[in-house]
Order: sequence, then C-alpha cells, then structure tokens
Amino acid sequence: MSSPTGPTSTAERTLRLRDIGPARRGTRPDEVVIALSPAFAGIFSKTIVEVPHAEVLRQLLAGIEEQGVTARVIQVHDTADLAAISHLGARLSGSGISVGVLSRGTTMIHQRDLARLSNLELFPQSPLLDAPVFRQIGSNAARYAKGESPEPVPTRNDQMARPRWQAKAALLHLKEFETIEAGRGPVEVELDFELSSAG
Amino acid sequence: MELVVGVDVGNSTTEACLARVGDGAVTLLATALTRTTGVKGTPKNADGAVTAVRAALERAGVTPDALHRVLLNEATPVISGLAMETITETIITESTMIGHNPATPGGTGIGVGVTVAIGDVGDIADGPEGPVVVVVPPGWDFDDVAATLNAAVDTGVDLTAAILAGDDAVLVTNRLTRKVPVVDEVAAVEKVPLGMLSAVEVAPPGRTIRTLSNSYGLATVFGLDPQQTRQVAPVARALTGNRSAVVVRTPTGDVTDRRIPVGELTLRGEARTVRVDVDAGAEAIMDALARAQPLVDATGEPGTHVGGMLAQVRDTMTDITGQPASEIAIRDVLAVDTMVPAEVRGGLAGEVALENAVALAAMVRTDRSRMQAVADRVADELGTSAAVGGIEGAMAALGALTTPGVERPVAVLDLGGGSTDAALLDRDGACVAMHVAGAGELVTKLIDAELALDNRETAEHVKRHPLAKVESFYHLRHEDGTVQFVQEPLPPQVFARVVTLGADGPAPVPTRLNLDAIRRVRRKAKRRVFVVNALRALRQVAPRGDLRALDFVVLLGGSALDFEVPDMLADALAPFGVVCGTGNVHGTEGPRNAVASGLVMAYSEAAP
Amino acid sequence: MTTTQPAGQSRKRTSLRTDILEDRPVNLDGFVEEWPEKGLVAMESAFDPEPGVRVEDGVIVELDGKPRADFDFMDTFIAAHAIDIATTEASMAVSSDEIARMIIDPRTSRDEVLAVIRGLTPAKILDVVRLMNVVEIMQGMQKMRARRTPANQAHSTSARDNPIQVAVDAAEGAVRGFAELETTLGVVRYAPLVAIALQVGGQVGRGGVLTQCALEEATELELGMRGITAYAETISIYGTESVFVDGDDTPWSKTFLASAYASRGIKMRFTSGTGSEVQMGNAEGKSMLYLEIRCILMARGAGVQGLQNGSISCIGVPGAVPGGIRAVAAENLVASLCDLEVASGNDQSFSHSSMRRVARLMPQLLPGTDFVCSGYSAVPNADNMFAGSNFDTDDYDDWNTIQRDLQVDGGLRHVREDDILAVRRRAAEALQALFRHLDLPTITDAEVEAATYANSSNDYPLRDVLADLKGAQSVMERGLTGVDLVKGLEATGFHDVAENLLTVLRQRVSGDLLQTSAILTPEFVPLSAINDANDYAGPGTGYRLQGERWEELKKLRHVTSASNPETEVS
Repeated sequence: MSSPTGPTSTAERTLRLRDIGPARRGTRPDEVVIALSPAFAGIFSKTIVEVPHAEVLRQLLAGIEEQGVTARVIQVHDTADLAAISHLGARLSGSGISVGVLSRGTTMIHQRDLARLSNLELFPQSPLLDAPVFRQIGSNAARYAKGESPEPVPTRNDQMARPRWQAKAALLHLKEFETIEAGRGPVEVELDFELSSAG
Repeated sequence: MELVVGVDVGNSTTEACLARVGDGAVTLLATALTRTTGVKGTPKNADGAVTAVRAALERAGVTPDALHRVLLNEATPVISGLAMETITETIITESTMIGHNPATPGGTGIGVGVTVAIGDVGDIADGPEGPVVVVVPPGWDFDDVAATLNAAVDTGVDLTAAILAGDDAVLVTNRLTRKVPVVDEVAAVEKVPLGMLSAVEVAPPGRTIRTLSNSYGLATVFGLDPQQTRQVAPVARALTGNRSAVVVRTPTGDVTDRRIPVGELTLRGEARTVRVDVDAGAEAIMDALARAQPLVDATGEPGTHVGGMLAQVRDTMTDITGQPASEIAIRDVLAVDTMVPAEVRGGLAGEVALENAVALAAMVRTDRSRMQAVADRVADELGTSAAVGGIEGAMAALGALTTPGVERPVAVLDLGGGSTDAALLDRDGACVAMHVAGAGELVTKLIDAELALDNRETAEHVKRHPLAKVESFYHLRHEDGTVQFVQEPLPPQVFARVVTLGADGPAPVPTRLNLDAIRRVRRKAKRRVFVVNALRALRQVAPRGDLRALDFVVLLGGSALDFEVPDMLADALAPFGVVCGTGNVHGTEGPRNAVASGLVMAYSEAAP
Repeated sequence: MTTTQPAGQSRKRTSLRTDILEDRPVNLDGFVEEWPEKGLVAMESAFDPEPGVRVEDGVIVELDGKPRADFDFMDTFIAAHAIDIATTEASMAVSSDEIARMIIDPRTSRDEVLAVIRGLTPAKILDVVRLMNVVEIMQGMQKMRARRTPANQAHSTSARDNPIQVAVDAAEGAVRGFAELETTLGVVRYAPLVAIALQVGGQVGRGGVLTQCALEEATELELGMRGITAYAETISIYGTESVFVDGDDTPWSKTFLASAYASRGIKMRFTSGTGSEVQMGNAEGKSMLYLEIRCILMARGAGVQGLQNGSISCIGVPGAVPGGIRAVAAENLVASLCDLEVASGNDQSFSHSSMRRVARLMPQLLPGTDFVCSGYSAVPNADNMFAGSNFDTDDYDDWNTIQRDLQVDGGLRHVREDDILAVRRRAAEALQALFRHLDLPTITDAEVEAATYANSSNDYPLRDVLADLKGAQSVMERGLTGVDLVKGLEATGFHDVAENLLTVLRQRVSGDLLQTSAILTPEFVPLSAINDANDYAGPGTGYRLQGERWEELKKLRHVTSASNPETEVS
C-alpha cells in the first residue's frame, strides 16, 4: 500500500553501514555531508512509509553525484534531534552544506553559518517523502554547495496525513530517542551496498 | 499678507505647501505629505487634502481659522492602461530536435547513430547494425540503465550516445565502461522518433556545442546536400548557445519561427487615419503613430488580439472613470518590443524560446475631473475658501523653479505610474503641457514578462531596488561588484540567491537568471519606457520640437527618486546640451511638493 | 541491514471479505500500541502519580506525592493559583468514587460538585474521571457544562486567502447558526483584510456573531485591541515544563497575555489538548489525560474564562491508542468540572471513516457543550487553513439530520437556499462597499456574483494579490479600527450591519463577554454562565430542545409534506 513510487532499481540491494572512525571536518569545498540519526539503517530499516533506508541513501547520493559534487556520510549517536544532527553535519562539511535524515524520513538541508534551529530547506512531513523527493533533496543540497540558487524542492501537504501517521510518527520519534548514546561522538560510515539480484 | 496653502492631489500622494504671500513675495512655512484618499479627481480626495492641510498648519503652529485660502490643482486629465501580446511562436515539427539545456548532461563530444529504445538494445546485440543512440523512457533506474548499456557494449553494440527522460546523465555516464555523450531531462522522450539517424552533442562545462549549432556541421553529420542544408539552418540557429543538443533527421522535420497575426491597429488622427499590423513590431507602430499625430482615437480590429488588447484598456478606463466605453478616446499609445520566454510548441523537453511580444500602453483623456467638488468639501471642513486653479504641468514648472540653479525657460518631467508628463514654462511665463502614455507600470510589466516572474510584487521590487547576490550568510555582492559584510546572518531563504535590496531587507528574485541578466532586463525596460517617453514628451513641448531649445529639465514625482532613472535621462539628454537633474523644490523638498508650491507661487504672482 | 525493496510481500491467499474490509476507509487510519513508560497512553497509566496534598501555613508543600522542593513551574503555578488551599485537604479526603457519583447524580447540584473539584489536585481529578465510562462522562458533561444553551463555532478560511470568500462563508455560517467564527491565513500578510471580511460577513449573517483570527500572538492581540476581531482563542498551553520552555513561554507569560485581552474587555480562552506533549517527545512519562488536566488547572489558575480542548491538532495521537477518544471526552468534562467554558474540539481532520468521525463527535454532541466544534469547517475542507476539520460544508445536511433524529441541539439549522443566497450576496456587497469606502482593493461585481453562488475558492475570480497585500498593509499603517468599519458600513448604506458591529464592539465596554461561556443572541443579549447558568437536575430539567427551536430543527432539505404528500415542506 505504501511502497515507494518513481524510479527505483529493479535490483534488490542491501545496505550495511560500517563505522570507519570518528567523523572529521571535511576540507573539500565540493562535498555535502549526509548526517544520519542514531537508528538509521540500524534498528530501523525503512521510513514511516516504508521507503527502505538503502534507497533513501542511494537517492540522496545520486542527487549529489548528478550535480558533480561528492558526498560523505556520517552517523550521529548522541542526539535524535533533526536540527542538531543536520547542523553537526553542516559544521563537518567542507562546503558547509549538509543533509540530515531521521529514521522515519524527516529530512533537512542545513548550512553551517545558520543558527541551529534554522535551516535551508525542511521536509517535516515524513509520510510524503518518497524516492524522487530524496533525489531532489540530494540534488538541491549539492547545488547549494556549488553556490547555485536551486528552487526549493516543492513540499507537499496532505490533510489526511494526521489521522494516518501522527501517532506512528510520535512512536518512531520516541523509539529513535531510545537509541541515543550520550557521549558517543559522530562517526564516519562507509556504505556497503550489495546487489543481490538483477531484474 | 495672506496665509494660503497649495494642495496637490496626486495618484498616490497628496501634498500641501503652506506659505505667507504678499507684495510679490512668498514665505514658505511648512509642507506636508499624506496618502491620497480615493481615485484622483473624485470627491473622496477631500479627506486626504484636509489631512495634508491640517498637518502643514500644525507643523507651522498656525490655527485653521488664520487660513485665507486653499488652492487645489486641476488634476491631470489623463489615465492609462496596459496590454501585452506575443507575436511570434517557435514550432518544432516531427520532433526534429531537443535543445533545452539540462543543467547536468553527461560525457562530452558528439555521437551519431540510429535511435533505439533501451528495451530493444538486447535484440540488436546479435547483429549490430552500426552505431546506435539509446533512448531511455521514464522509470528506468540509473544503475539499471548503466548495466544494460554496458552489457550491450560488451556484446558488440556500437553505442554512441544516449537520451534520457530522468535527471540521470552524470550518474549513467559515471557508470559506463565506454563514455558517450548523454542528454537528460527529456520529459517527452517517448516522442523521440525511433529508427532515425540522430546526433547527440555535449560540450564540456562552460562551453557551448559547436557542431549541431553549425549548419555545415549538421550537413557533415547527416551528409546533406545544399538544398537540405538550407532547410536545417533554422535547427542550427535554434541550438546556438546550448551546452547540449540532440538533432534527429526525419523526412520533413523542421523548426519554424512563425509570426502570429494579432490584428490591425487603427490610429485615427486629426488629419488622417493610419493602419498598422501590430505584429510588425513597436517601431512600425510608433512610425504609424507619428504619421497620425495628433491622435483622436485608436481602435483594434474586433475579434483579433489587438482588438482584445484595446478593449481591455477601455474596460479599465470605464472602471476608473465610470465613463461608458464608447466615450473613451485613446489619445496616445506607446508600443514597446519585448522578448518573452515561452515554451516551444512540439518541444520534447519543455524547450523555451524567447518570443517577440509587443506591449502597448494607452492613455485616455477624461473630462470628468471633479476637483470642484473636492474644493467645496475642503472649504466646508476647514471653514475657509478653496479654489481650483492652474494647469498641473504649469504649476509643477513654477514649483520646480524654486530648485536652486534653475531659471526660465524650464521644462519639467513627471514620470508617473501610467503616464509621462512634460511641461515647459518659457521666459514670458507661458506654459505648454503634454502627456504621453507609458511610465512606471509598463516598466513593471516588461520586467515581469521578460523575467517570466508572473508576480507583479516581485517585478516591482526588481524595478525599485538594486540587486545583489547573497554569497554567504555573512556577505553579499552588490550589482556594481562591491562586497558588503553583515554582522547578523542573513535569512535562510535568501541564501545563494539574487536578491533585491529594499527597505525590508533582501528579498529573493525567483528566477534561474543570474544577476547580470536581471539587471540588463531592468535597465532595458526603464530605457525603453522612461528614456523614450521623456524624449517623446519633451519634443512635444520643446520649441519647434527641438530638444536643443531646452535649457533646464527638472525631474519631478516619485520616479525621480528612482536609483538610476535620473542618471539614464541625464545621459540621454546630455548630447542636446540640456541640464537635467532631479528637482529640489525650495532647496529642501527634493522632487516632491512642486505642484503644491507652484499653486502658491501662481497665486502670489496673480495677486494684485 | 536494510534492503532497497520492501520485503517481498507474501502472496498468501486472503478471503474476498478480507479484501473488502482491507479497502474500508477506516484502515487508512493509523493505530499504535500503548507505551506508557513514554506517555503514549490515553489515561490509564501506572506511571501517573498518586493523588495527595499537604498544606502547611496556607501553602501547598506537597502535591501528588511531590515535595515543594521538586516542583516544576507547572506544579508551582497550580499549587499557588489553581487549587483552593482552604478546602483542598477536605476535598482530597472525599473518595474518588464518591466524587464521580456526585458528578453523575442529578440530585447533587452543579455548584456542590464545583465546590469539591476546586480543592482537587491533578492526580485526584484523573483518579475521578478514570472511574467514569463514556456514558457517565456524557452524563457529567450534560450537568457540568457552564452555559445552559449549547452552541457551535465555525472556521471560515480560504485557500487563496480570498476575503470575499471568507465574508460570504462567514455570513452563511452565521445564518446557519454558528455563534463564533474563526479564521486564519495562508499568507499571513493578508490577515487584516481577511479579519475585516470575517467581521463584516458574520454580522450580515446574523447580528451578534463573535469573530477571531488565529495568528502569532502579538498580531492577534493588536487586531483584537483595534476591534477588528471580537475574541481570541489560539493561546496554547502545555502540560510539561519542557514543552512550555521549547516555546519560550511560562504559565506566567501566558497569564500576562490573557490579562492584556481582559484589560480591553475582549473575550479570550486558552487552547490545549491531549497528545501534544508526547507528540513532541516530552511527556515525561505521564499519560496524555494527566498532562491535559495540568493544562486545565493552569487555565483556571490564570483566571481565563474558558479553554479550547479535545486534543485539537494532536487528535491523531489519542485517536490511535486504546480508549483515546474516551480520554478526549474526559478532558472536555474536566474543563467543565473546573467551571471553564469549553470549546470541545471536533475541529481537525480525524479519520478517513465517516463512522469514526461521527462516533468521535457523540460525547460532545449528545450532552451538549459550550461549543460542540471549535470549529466546524464552514468552507470545504480543501479551503480550511486549519488543515481540515472533522466536519465541513459537505456535512451540513447530515449534521442537521442527526440533530433531528436524536432531538439534540448541535447549534446548526437548515436554511432555505434563497435565504442563503440573499445573505451571501449581501455580505459580498457590504464588503465591496466597505472596501471601496476605505480605499481598499476593488471588489468587482463579477466577484460579488461569483461569491453568491460559490462553493470553494476555485469558484471565485482570481484577486490581484499584490494590490490586496498593499491594502492589508495600509489597514495596519493607517490604524483602522472596528469603529472605522462601523463608520464605513454606515456611510455606504449598510446601516443594519453597522449597527450590529457597533453593538458587538460596545460589549467590550460593558465587559459582559468576559463572563464564562458568553455568546450573544441575535438580539445581542449576552448568554453566559451568569444569566444562562446550566440548571440541569435530571430528566425534564436543564436545556431541552423544544418549542420554536425544535420546530426549526425539524426542517431539512427534503421532508415530504403530510398534508400533500406530493410536495415537500422546507
């Protein structure tokens, strides 16, 4: 009922996040940092509308790559607050631009000079984010990194999202907060996509 | 000695000038400015007029009973309207080309081959029939596209290029074992004719294509004879300046640039009637107008676009004046050529071409000014006498004379919203005044259309304020190249954007165009309306129509406060040896209060 | 580890009946299991505190098991302002069973119940209502509601912020019976024009309708002080200190804002509701209803006359847990038990299922509340800028029929088409004349015509947004007030509308609308808990739908005539 729409690969991929040490500040001006919440691709494997986390990342990365910009992925462990995660990512980003993502799908584009509670673009309605939207978010983040002025990704609205998703969103929020490890710093992760079958 | 107050009711502001008059001398006491109430020339103006008078009295510390007389202007009897119509269109037939400039094409170089759907690539693998250009419909994932193409190349398919529906060109190219040029974001990719010879060209970043935008390049690629080369020339022209393009060779495919018949404009002059096709462009229309002068009325052929344009103007007038449309006579028009981005018919990727359009401003005389009613109400409210007197233009010229460094003969220019008004006061005190159609609102409309903003508020902002590019949260680069640093971070919605710098801080201009392009559009619009009209209006008041016969030109009104228009006009008038600048009424009021002050001066001169 | 594709859905065969059930709208709603440790529970939680109070030297030194030293600012505020210290120990000594029985027993007067409740702590109140099932909650509400006569409130907004739409839908809403009208904006700068439109439209529909415009607090207050709105409602309060602090507020700052309204004689109420704290992840492990009871007591302590509650914008949270809608009914009851006016929710899109939408309404509609909906969407939900209501214009006839079936008064009535068209046209004309008089952007005759017959914002000619925004700005810059609107309506020949509006504005001098649950009748008589006190004392007492009003509610769009069955009466 809620499988992602739009172009997704016909191949089935699995994603494993491999910690490769503490996250460091980037120096390349052409990089965007993707900052993941503690439970992303960990205790959770998909967003509130069942977009697989592997697909979320693959589309964000594709959007960035299409713009000719590089990406680095970090995972934050000591907070599940989207603004805090995104802002930390932005401060570690060589371009100053980051995309922060919560396990349930809520996403934000941040910039390091902004106040933590501010943002460049916010996508608060996690139930409305599908693969094509994640692609556009990646693309916009990369374009900000290049100093271009992208049109903000159009945000959608659905009045009936409340009865369907409000409580589940609260539950996922609480669950993600449970996985916070106070005092554990952000780590840089490598992504292992495995292509299990084609077509 | 008499205490009098001049009141000028303008379209948006009402100004007052309080002075003591006697023995030919005028002593300025105070000025005031307030918002005009109601449409100019209607009884409701009285409220604003009274407010302005009271404010001036208060500022001077004088009670209303000491007031001898209120002098009101005779409102300029013109109002104006606007319309715009596109007169050309570009049509691509048989899906001959794709020239939409995606932001990120893939690969570089040129690939020529027969178009094949990606779903059919596997079938030709066994018996390769020469070079192929692969066409990929929407819904295909970039990883799958790359894998499919790589597999095809491995089996011997001669892949030369690809055309994609999605925004995947770089992604696909990065994953190809054989790098080929790739054009993407072709929305209507299903319309690309299959089995046809085609060429795909992608230039390196920062460059434009060289082969497909060159007629002989096309001739070489497709092996065309001279006759055929002549035929494809429009295709090459349409692709000039693009970073990527696709040309498909189809039997009768073509790109045409068609003129849209929009109808005939009839200019009825006092001596003769002149007809002109509107699609002939602004120059032809203005030539025709010159032959028909002085204009009695203008009409458009019913049922044509121009008929609609003028009907629209007349409707606006009827709404404002309450005069029936049949009684409204158009006394001047200004036609301006403009280029409007429009989607190309038959395009496959939402290609946009700059189409020619004509904007038309029209002006109507109205005899329904009801300033006497205003005067009666003002007199009643203030318990004093009030009189309507003085042609607005003449009064403005008198007021402008109080600008330091100005003497008779003086010409004034009032650049308003709907009309541009000029008046000349000669050495003997005789005055002529003229009004021509087109001013600030037309500029806004041109900016709105040429930038495809579809938002008059943004267009107004672009018109009124200088531009800057926000380069970080802490600094922006002004349009003149200077950099300004700020202490507090700029708001997120202006980050990396071209902004206008208005009183409320930077506001983003929602367009893909860069700062220079926006600036060019803005300045061109101002030049084509304000400069053209200033010269047109001044010629009509200048002795023998000779601008060299003018000495001093004083700019008045709100547009005289524009940050660049006064300089543009000064530059335009300099070759005629005219001193031109923004007025400074009484040496203190800037370009404001000229008419109100002029009313007081005229009263003083006429006083026994 | 995660995959790019949803795990291969098993192709197990399902029954044809299951297929039908799967497709029922109710299965589009979301439901979750309880998680009491985190506060994701309606009203039955082992983690809520035990009731208790200790007073020393006239000061509450222990509240629900927490010593004064551990009070957060909510506890401090409630202990100081919301509990009657003189009677608290005696009231707390009465058993919860006994209090619950007093609430539903018609022989115990409303005043006697109020006297006991005044001394109770949040945990004790929770303990009392936890004993009550939903029928008992309704029985309690029937008696404890402050105003004898129930009423209803509407939203009148426009997806394009079109002031003409807001005016005519306000007029239609008013003539259909709403006592209060509320609006808000998509583009906030439009607010002055839309608030004026609501005010004018409302007074055309029927004199005495009260209006408000939900905005950020400073602008909302300014519009109220200028008399462009008549009351205020969207002043939100929360049940935990952390959520309050996140919003840069305290109980004292909200109280200060409330007193600013009172100082000008403007009616106002607070807003709160179950689920908001857990939604923000800061429930501090307490049940939704316990936290809401803290809000209700805070409102009482602040001295405001009323509260909008019933979960409001968080209804998806209690709606998804077991017993959640019972808790929502209970929170409305607790507000009434605290002698507050209650505007009882039913104001947000709640369910895909029409059956659930109606069931959620019953605990408020059947006993009657001060405002059954807060509000009912008097525009199609697509135009509702409060993100949709539980009921909208499509539901008017259903609502009227339910009132007639059950003989209950939900505040609305059926109105004949020609009467509706007449008030819509007149509202549009009044606004047209007023805008012209005040030099605000033109409203054309074509717009008046469209407004008369329109359903949604798509049925109106597009406005010149730039001109409208400039006009809206000039309203603020020129300092226009409600009196200017009255003068303009009078000058343009809308004497009756001017008179209605002036009479509403004069209420702030008399202060009658500051009384609990105050509304105005079409004759401008304030009806409040003072002069229309709820006197329910069992069958045959209290508000009864009878007489002229019942005759009115018997009318529907299509009723076959008994005297001539070939015709319909209407």
